Amino acid sequence: MHAVDGVSFDLDEGEALGLAGESGCGKTTTALSLMRLLPYNGKIVSGSILFRGRDLVKVSDLRIRKIRWKEISIIFQGAMNSLNPVRNIGQQIAEPIILHEKVDEDEATNRVGELLELVGINRDRRRDFPHEFSGGMRQRVMIAMALACNPKIVIADEPVTALDVMIQAQILELLERLRKELHLSMILISHDLSVMAETCEKVAIMYGGKMMEVGKTVDVFTDPKHPYTQGLVAAFPDIRGQRTMPASIPGDVPSLINPPSGCVFHPRCKFAFDRCTAAEPALAEVTPGRRAACFLYPGVPEVTPRPMTVEAR
Amino acid sequence: MDGVSFDVKRGEVFCLVGESGCGKTTTGKALLRLVDATEGDVFFELPTEEYRRYEELRAGRAPDAAARIDAIRRKYSFSWTEQLAWDTRQILFWLGAVAAAFVLAVGLPALAAAGIPGALVNTGFILGASLLCGLLLGVIGSLPPTRPSARTPTVLALLSILAFNLFPIVAALGWPATLPGAPFDAPGIWATVWGASSFAMLLGVIVAPIAAGAASKIVLARRRETEGLLGVKMRTLRRRLHLIFQDPYESLNPKQSVFEIVSEPLVVNKIAHDPEEIAALVARSLEDAGLRPASEFVFRFPHELSGGQRQRVSIAAALALEPDFIVADEPVSMLDVSIRTEILQLMMDLREKRGLTYLFITHDLGLAWILADRIAVMYLGKIVEQGTAEQVISHPKHPYTQALISVVPSPDPRHLVKRTILKGERPDAVNIPGGCRFHPRCPVAFERCGWSADEVAEELRSLSSGGRLLRIIGIEAQDSRTVTLQMAPGVSAGVAAATLRQIVSENRDSRLALKGVAEIRESGDAIQVTLQSWAEPPLIELGPGNAVACHLVTPPAEAVPAVTA
Repeated sequence: MHAVDGVSFDLDEGEALGLAGESGCGKTTTALSLMRLLPYNGKIVSGSILFRGRDLVKVSDLRIRKIRWKEISIIFQGAMNSLNPVRNIGQQIAEPIILHEKVDEDEATNRVGELLELVGINRDRRRDFPHEFSGGMRQRVMIAMALACNPKIVIADEPVTALDVMIQAQILELLERLRKELHLSMILISHDLSVMAETCEKVAIMYGGKMMEVGKTVDVFTDPKHPYTQGLVAAFPDIRGQRTMPASIPGDVPSLINPPSGCVFHPRCKFAFDRCTAAEPALAEVTPGRRAACFLYPGVPEVTPRPMTVEAR
Repeated sequence: MDGVSFDVKRGEVFCLVGESGCGKTTTGKALLRLVDATEGDVFFELPTEEYRRYEELRAGRAPDAAARIDAIRRKYSFSWTEQLAWDTRQILFWLGAVAAAFVLAVGLPALAAAGIPGALVNTGFILGASLLCGLLLGVIGSLPPTRPSARTPTVLALLSILAFNLFPIVAALGWPATLPGAPFDAPGIWATVWGASSFAMLLGVIVAPIAAGAASKIVLARRRETEGLLGVKMRTLRRRLHLIFQDPYESLNPKQSVFEIVSEPLVVNKIAHDPEEIAALVARSLEDAGLRPASEFVFRFPHELSGGQRQRVSIAAALALEPDFIVADEPVSMLDVSIRTEILQLMMDLREKRGLTYLFITHDLGLAWILADRIAVMYLGKIVEQGTAEQVISHPKHPYTQALISVVPSPDPRHLVKRTILKGERPDAVNIPGGCRFHPRCPVAFERCGWSADEVAEELRSLSSGGRLLRIIGIEAQDSRTVTLQMAPGVSAGVAAATLRQIVSENRDSRLALKGVAEIRESGDAIQVTLQSWAEPPLIELGPGNAVACHLVTPPAEAVPAVTA
C-alpha cells in the first residue's frame, strides 16, 4: 500500500509551508518520512529528500540520528499524550540536548531554562510534571523540546488541534514569533486550512496520499485551481463573511488499501470526466508558481503507472 | 456554573459558545437532567404568558409569590421535585389519620368481638383485623400521592413496627379484661394474636402500596383535571428531548450493530413491540439521517462505518423517538471539514422537516455564525453575552466576545484583522475571581471590575522586583480590600507614599490591576493601599433579546462591598 505517493515540495530557509488535508490523507506520514521516523512496517520506496545538498533517504541510520533534532525536529501531534508522564519536563527537554550536544548537565539545565522562557513558561517550572500543565502549556513544552538543539527546520504536526481558539491563537502567535526570531523554516501540518491562512507563505494540499495542489497561500485560498482545494476552501465557514452554509464535498475519504483508479479524487469530484478514471494526473505547473494535479488544466501530464511492488519481509 | 439563564424558542437553533471548561456541556446535560442542578429550573413548553407571570412573581414581592412560583414550577419545570408534603399541618393531619386508622382497625374488631363470645380465639377474625390495619398503614405510608418519595419505606417500616407491637399488646391486655366470660389466659392469647397478626399485617403492608398507587393515580388524574399537568415525568420527557454526543468514535457501543443502537430507544421507551414495526421505524430514522439505503447499514457495526456515518447513526438514534428538542454537543468537532457541512446540513434539514429545536454546543464561533438564530457566549460558567447571531458576531459588546471573534482564523488570507490575544488561560473553576469573572484576562478592565487585594499586591510585587519600588520591603494583602506596604527602615512614609502614588498613576494603563487602587494612605511607618469597591456585572438586557454582562457596556449597579471569604 502506498500511503503517500507523488509528494513533492520545496522549503526555503525561514519559510513556512502548510501541509493541509483531511484525516488519513498522509500528512503525518509525509512528515515522519522527512525525518526517517516511519514505523518498522513503513518504508520509503523511492524518492529523495534533499536537505542542504544531502539526500536524507540515502544517508546511513547513524548519520540521520545526527540530523534528527539538530537539523530537523518535530512537534508531535497531541501534546496531551506525547510527553512522558513520569519524568519532569526539564528532564524531557534536556534529553535531546544531552544526547546531541557535548554539554554537561548544568549547561543543559541552563539551556532548558532559556528554552522555557523562550516559549513563555517560567523557568522555575522545569521541575513540574506534565500533568501539572494545561493543554496549551504542554504544547509550549513540546515546542521548547523541538527547539532544544537549534534546528533549522521544525515540523509542527497539528500543533493547535484540540486546543481552544484562544490558546490556539496564543500558540500560533508563539510559533510565528519563534520563526521570525530564530529564522526557522517550518512545516505546519493541519487539517484546518484557516490556521494556515495566517501563518504560512506556501501551502500544499494533500488528498488520499497524493499532493493535489501547491502554491502561495494567498493564491491557493483566493483562487483554488484543483476541485478538491475549491471544495475544501468553500467548506470553511467565514465568520467575517456571509451567513451561509458552507459547501460540502459529498462522499467519503477513499481507503488507501483499495484506492480508486485514476485520480484519487474523481469519485467525489463534480468535474470528473472519463480521463480522470483512466489515468492519474501528475502535479504540474498550471499557472506561474502554482502546481496542481488535475486534468482540467491543459498540459497536465499523466503519471506513468508504476507496478505495485510487494516486498516480502 | 452559576446564574445561567436563557430560553430557547420552538424551532430555533440556540448556540452555546465558549472555551472548554466554561460549562457548556454541563449546561446541556443539566438541561436534560443528566446531571442534577443544585438550584434553578428547566422549564419545558412553558407558555409565554406563564413565563411572563413567573418573571413578574420573581420580581415582585407578592405575599403568595412563593406558592404561586411553586405552582408554575410544579407544572413545567423538570428539575422540580415534590418536597414540601410534610409541613406541620400535614404531620398533624396524618397523625390524626393514623390514630383514626388505629381506632378503626383495632376498635371495630374489638367491638365486634365483644358481641361474639369466644371470638378472641378465632384466628380468622384477628387475621382480618390485622390485614385491614396493615392496609391502612400501607396507604398512609405511600402518601402523599404525587411521586413516590424516597421516605416511603422508612415511614412504612416505622409505622409497622409500632403497629406490630401495639396491636398485640392492646389485644392481649385490653380485650380479655373487658370481655366477660373470656378465658383469662393473657399470655396465651397474646402469643396467638402476635403470631397471626404479624403475618396478616405484613401481607397488608405489602398489598397496601399497590392500593395506594391506585389511589394516587385517581388523585393525580383528578389534580390534572383541575390544575393541568402536575409534575413533569422525566421518563416520558426523555422521548422528547435528546442528546447527540460529541465524539462519534466513543459514543457508539462497539458491540452493538447499527440496528441495535437505533432500536434501543424504541424498545426501552416501549414505543414499539412488534419486530416489523421496530424495523420500519429504524429504517425510517436511518434514511432520514442520510444513511440510504437503510438495509445496507442496519447490520453493520460501528467500526465498519466512517466518522461521518457514525455521527449519522448517532443522529438516527436520537431521531428514532421523534424528539422535539435536541441538545447537540459539538456534533461535528471530530469530523473532517468536507463531511462536517453534510452533517450540519442534515441537522438543518431535519429542523425544517420535523420542526426540531436545537441547543447547539460548540467552541467554534464560525459554526455558531452559520447555524445559530441566537447565541449565548459563556465564560467560566456564566453567560457574558447573549443575542442573535448578528448581534453577537457582527457587533460584539463584551470584551471576551470581541477577543474570541478576533482570534477565529479566517480561511481568506485577505481578511486579516487585528487579533486580540488574551493572556493566560481560563482560571480554575475552583477558584473563581471575584467581581467580573473575566477581569484578570480582560484587556480593557477598569476600576470596578473586581480587583482583589491579592491581585494588586501581586502587581505591586512585580513592580517592586522590577526595581521600581526601591524603598518598600514587604507587600502584604491585609484583607480583601487593603494592601499594606512595609518600608525599609529610615524611610519616611509620606515620601514613599507620594512616589507610590506617582508610579501607580503612571503604570495603571499597562498594569491594569493598579486601576483597582482607590487610595494610598500612610499609616504609621507603613503605607495602606485601599482598593476600589466592585460588583459582579449582571446580565443586563440592552435591546430585545440582547444582553451583556459587562460594566463597560452597562452602568455598574450599586457597588457591593467585597466580602471576605
